[in-house]
Amino acid sequence: MEKENITAKDRIKSVLTKVWKAIVGFLYKYRYFWKKLGIAVLTLAFSTIVIFFIIRLIPGDIVREYALSLASSRNIPYDEAYRLAVSLLNYDPEESIFLQFFRYVGGLFRGELGVSLYNEDITANLLIKQRLPWTLFISSVSLLISFLLGTWLGSLMARKRNGAADTAISSYIVVSGSIPDYLMGLLLVLIFAYTWKIFPSQGNYDAFYSEPGWNFKFFYDVLRHAFLPVAAYVFVQTGTWTLMMRGSSIGVLGEDYISAAKARGLSERTITRKYLKRNAMLPLVTSLAVSFAALFGGSPLMESIFNYPGIGLELSARIGLKDYFVVQGIMFFTSSMVILVNLITDSIYSLIDPRVRKE
Amino acid sequence: MENAKVKEFFTSLKRAACEAGRSVADFFKKVFQNKKAATGFCILMLFVLMAIFGPLIFPYDPTVDYENRYAPFSWQHIFGTDNLGRDVFRQLVAGSGSVLTIALLTGVFTVFIGVFLGILSGYAGGVVDKVIQGVTNIVLTIPSFPVMLVLAAIFTIEDPFTFALVLSAWSWAGLCRAVRAQVMSLRERDFIQICKVMKMSRTHIIVKELMPNIASYILINFIMTMRSAITGSVGIMMLGLAAYDPTNWGSMLSNAQAQGLVNPKVIPVLLVPLVTIIIFQAGAILFSNGLDEILNPRLRIG
Amino acid sequence: MENVIEIRNVTIDYKLKRYDIRAITDVSLDIKRGKITALVGESGSGKTTLSSAILQCISTPGEVTAGSIKFFGKDGSETDVCACNNHQINKFRWEKVSMVFQAAQSALNPVMTVFEQFEETVREHRMGWDKKRIEERTKEVLEDVKLDADRVMKAYPHELSGGMKQRVMIAFALIFEPELIILDEPTTALDVITQDYIFKILQRINREKGISMLLMTHDIGVVAKFADYVGVMYAGRLMEYGDIRTVFKQRRHPYTAGLIGSTPSLIGSLDDMKPIEGNPPDLRDLPKGCVFSPRCPYRTDKCTEKEPEDYIKDGCLLKCTRYGE
Repeated sequence: MEKENITAKDRIKSVLTKVWKAIVGFLYKYRYFWKKLGIAVLTLAFSTIVIFFIIRLIPGDIVREYALSLASSRNIPYDEAYRLAVSLLNYDPEESIFLQFFRYVGGLFRGELGVSLYNEDITANLLIKQRLPWTLFISSVSLLISFLLGTWLGSLMARKRNGAADTAISSYIVVSGSIPDYLMGLLLVLIFAYTWKIFPSQGNYDAFYSEPGWNFKFFYDVLRHAFLPVAAYVFVQTGTWTLMMRGSSIGVLGEDYISAAKARGLSERTITRKYLKRNAMLPLVTSLAVSFAALFGGSPLMESIFNYPGIGLELSARIGLKDYFVVQGIMFFTSSMVILVNLITDSIYSLIDPRVRKE
Repeated sequence: MENAKVKEFFTSLKRAACEAGRSVADFFKKVFQNKKAATGFCILMLFVLMAIFGPLIFPYDPTVDYENRYAPFSWQHIFGTDNLGRDVFRQLVAGSGSVLTIALLTGVFTVFIGVFLGILSGYAGGVVDKVIQGVTNIVLTIPSFPVMLVLAAIFTIEDPFTFALVLSAWSWAGLCRAVRAQVMSLRERDFIQICKVMKMSRTHIIVKELMPNIASYILINFIMTMRSAITGSVGIMMLGLAAYDPTNWGSMLSNAQAQGLVNPKVIPVLLVPLVTIIIFQAGAILFSNGLDEILNPRLRIG
Repeated sequence: MENVIEIRNVTIDYKLKRYDIRAITDVSLDIKRGKITALVGESGSGKTTLSSAILQCISTPGEVTAGSIKFFGKDGSETDVCACNNHQINKFRWEKVSMVFQAAQSALNPVMTVFEQFEETVREHRMGWDKKRIEERTKEVLEDVKLDADRVMKAYPHELSGGMKQRVMIAFALIFEPELIILDEPTTALDVITQDYIFKILQRINREKGISMLLMTHDIGVVAKFADYVGVMYAGRLMEYGDIRTVFKQRRHPYTAGLIGSTPSLIGSLDDMKPIEGNPPDLRDLPKGCVFSPRCPYRTDKCTEKEPEDYIKDGCLLKCTRYGE
C-alpha cells in the first residue's frame, strides 16, 4: 500500500519535471523571439506615453475654445456657453493629467482606444473600422504593384546596364523621385479629372451611382475612384523600389555564384529567376515590411487631395479639432501596427534567408 | 618664445586653410566632371541665386489688383497673375528665400541630431547605445507626419526656424540608425583598431578617422533631407497648418487649390509653383546621385 | 597523344569605354587528354581569362577577337567553342567541360541547399532524369570526394566549412563525368593540409576516371607535384609550354627560371631565393619587343626590338629570343 503510494508520488514528480523541462526548453528554444517580444512591448509602452504627452502639449484651453465657438454659434452669453461646453464635452477639465493617463491606459487594456471629445458616439475604434479599410485598400494595392514593378525594372536595369532601357529607367527614377506623391496626385487630378474628365476627382465611391455591397456596379465604382490615387502612388513609389532593386542586383551580379551558375550551363532565365532575383530581393523584404507597416497611418496629404475618406485624412482633421482622445487612440493603433509588423517580419525573416536561421 | 608659438600657430592655420582650399577645389573639379552632379549643382545654385538676388531685381507687390485677375503669361507678368491679380513669378521669387531657409535649417538640424546621436550610440556602445536605440525605435514607431502636424499645432509656426525644428524633430531617427551601423562597422576595421592600440584619443579617432569616412554619406543625406523638408513643409502648408507666409510655394499651391480646380484659369497659377518644386527636387536628386557616384567609387562600374 | 582542347592563336580583348585592354595575345595551347595540365603565372597574367574563354564565360566586356578554341570529344566529335550559339554552349558547358572556381567559398547560391543546386543543374541538362536518379548520382559524386553525402545534401552553403565547400564544388564538376575539368586556383583560401588532401582527391579522379584537368595556380610546388604538363603565362602571353620535367629541370626561359627561383623551398636556404626584379607590366602600356625584357637578366638589343616568336625545342614551346634558330 505504502509502496504504491510512493510510486504514484514519483510518477507525479517525474511528470512534473518533464513538464517543467518542456516549458524551460520551449522558452529557451525561442529565446530570441522572447527577447524581441519584450523589446517590442517596451517600445509600445514608451510610445504610448510619448504620444499621450505630446498631444497634451498642444496649447490652448479646449473647453474655453469650444465655449467660445458655442457662444458665437448659438448666440448665448459666454458663462452659459462655458457650462454648456463642460456638459457637452466628454472631458473633465478638473481631472489631473496623470489620472487622465491612467484612465486612457485602462481603456487601452479593454480595447477602447478613445472617445471623441465632441460626440460620445464617435470613438477611435469606430473611425479606424470605417476609415482604415479604404486607406489600406488603395495603399496596399499601390505598394504591391510598385514593389513588383520596381523589382522587375531594377533587375532588368542591372542586367542590361548602359543600354537604352537603363537610360530610360534612370531618367524615370529621377523624375519620379522629384515629384512628391501628393503633388503627383494633384497633377493627375488636374489632367484626368478636370481636363479630360475620365476619372472622378474625389471620394471613394459615388453614392448616387452605386449601392455599397457585393455587386459589380459598386466594385467598378470603387475601382474607378481608386484609380487616380493608386496611379499617383505607383508612379512615385516604383522609382524608389527600382533604385533599391538595381543596387541590390548589381551587388548580386558581381557574386561568384552567378558566374558559377552561368558556367554550369544554366539558362539566363533560370539564373535571373532563382539566383539573381531571389538573392537581390532579400534585403528589400525588410523595407517592404516597413513600408507596409507605415500604411496603417494613412497618408493625410494624398487623402486630402482626393478627399478620400481614409485614416490619414481623419487623423489630420482630428488634430485640427484638438480631439485629444481620438488622436491618441489612432496614433496608438498605428504605432502598435508598426511594432507588430516589424516583429512578425523579424521572426519570419529566417524562413526566407537561410543564412540567419538559428537552431 | 611666445612669438614663436604664435607664428607656428599661424603657419599651421595657413597650411590647414591651403589644404582645405585645395580639397574644396578638387571637390568641385570632380563635381563638374560628373554630368549628373554638375546639372544638379547648377539647378540648386540657380535657386540660391534666385533666393538671394531675386527679390532685389523683381520686388514683390502684394497689393490686390482685381482688374488684373488671372492675367495670362506676358512680359509684364512672366507667369501671369493669381486670383487677386498679384504677379505669380514675383511671388515665386519672394517665397524662394523662406523655402530654401526652411530646407537648409531642417537639413542642418536633422543631420546634426542624427549624426551626433548615431556616432555617440555606435561608438560608445553599452547603456548609452541601448538608450539611444530605444529612443530611436520609439521615434521610428510613431508615424512622423501626424507628429509633425501635432508639433505644428503646438508651436504655432511663424518663422522658418520653428518650421525647421518641427520638420526635423521627428525625422532624424533613420539617419541616426544608419550612421550608427556605419560607425559600428568602421569601428571593427583595422585602421580604427590600430588607432585604439596606439592609444589615440577618442576625439582624434572620431574627428580624424571616423568622420572623413562617413562624410560623403552625411553630405548626401543632408541634401536628401533638404529635399524631403520641402516636401514636408509644402504638405503642412497645403493642409493649412502653417499659413504664416503667403508667398511660400506651399501657400501658393494651397491658395490656388482653394480657388477650385474646376476653373481652368487657376491651372497655370497652380502649375507654376508645382513645377518649380519639382525642378528643385530634381536638382537635389541629380546632385546627390552624382555625389554618390563621385564619392563612392565602388558604384562607378561600367 | 590526342588533345581534348586545341587553342589556336587566341586573342582576348576587354572592350572598355575609353580603351581596349588586350588580356590574351595570340596564345596557342593544347590540353592533352587524360593528363593534368597546369598554367602558372602571376596575378593578372591572363590565366583565368583564358580558361573562362574555353567555357565562353569571360566576364562582361571581354570577348575573343581572334583565333579559335576547338574541343575534341571521346566519341570523335569536334566542337568549335567560339562558334556555338547560346543553346549549344549551354549544353557544352558542364557536360563536356566543367569548372571549379577560384572562389569556391562563394560559388554556391546561399539561399538554396546543396542538393537543390545539383538538382537544378541536372534538370537543365538531363530532362529525363527523375528525382531519385538525381539523388543517387549526387550521392555518388559527393562520396567520390569523401563527403558525408546525406548531411551535405541537405545543408545550406553557409553551414559547410571552406574545405567542404571546395569538395562540393569538385563533386559538382564531376556530376556529368565531363572530359575536362578546369580548376581555377582551387585551393587558394584553404590551409595547407586541406590543400594537399584536395589535390590527392583530384589526382585520384584524374587517374581513375581519366578526366583531363586544366589547373590554374601560382603555387609552383603544387604544379611540380601534381601536373603532367605546364604552361607559363606572362602579360597575356604563353611564354613556355611543355612537359613538367623538361620545363622545370631545364629552366630554359628566363621567366620560368625566375618563377622557380623565387619560390621558397623547404630544403634550400632562403638566401637562394631570388625574387624577379620589377613588377608585371601594365597591360595598357606594354614594353616594346619582348614583354618580359625590362625584367630579364639576359636582355639583349634584339629583345627590345621585336617580340620573339614561338620556338619549338624538344617538344616544348619557348617564347624567347635566346632560343631562336
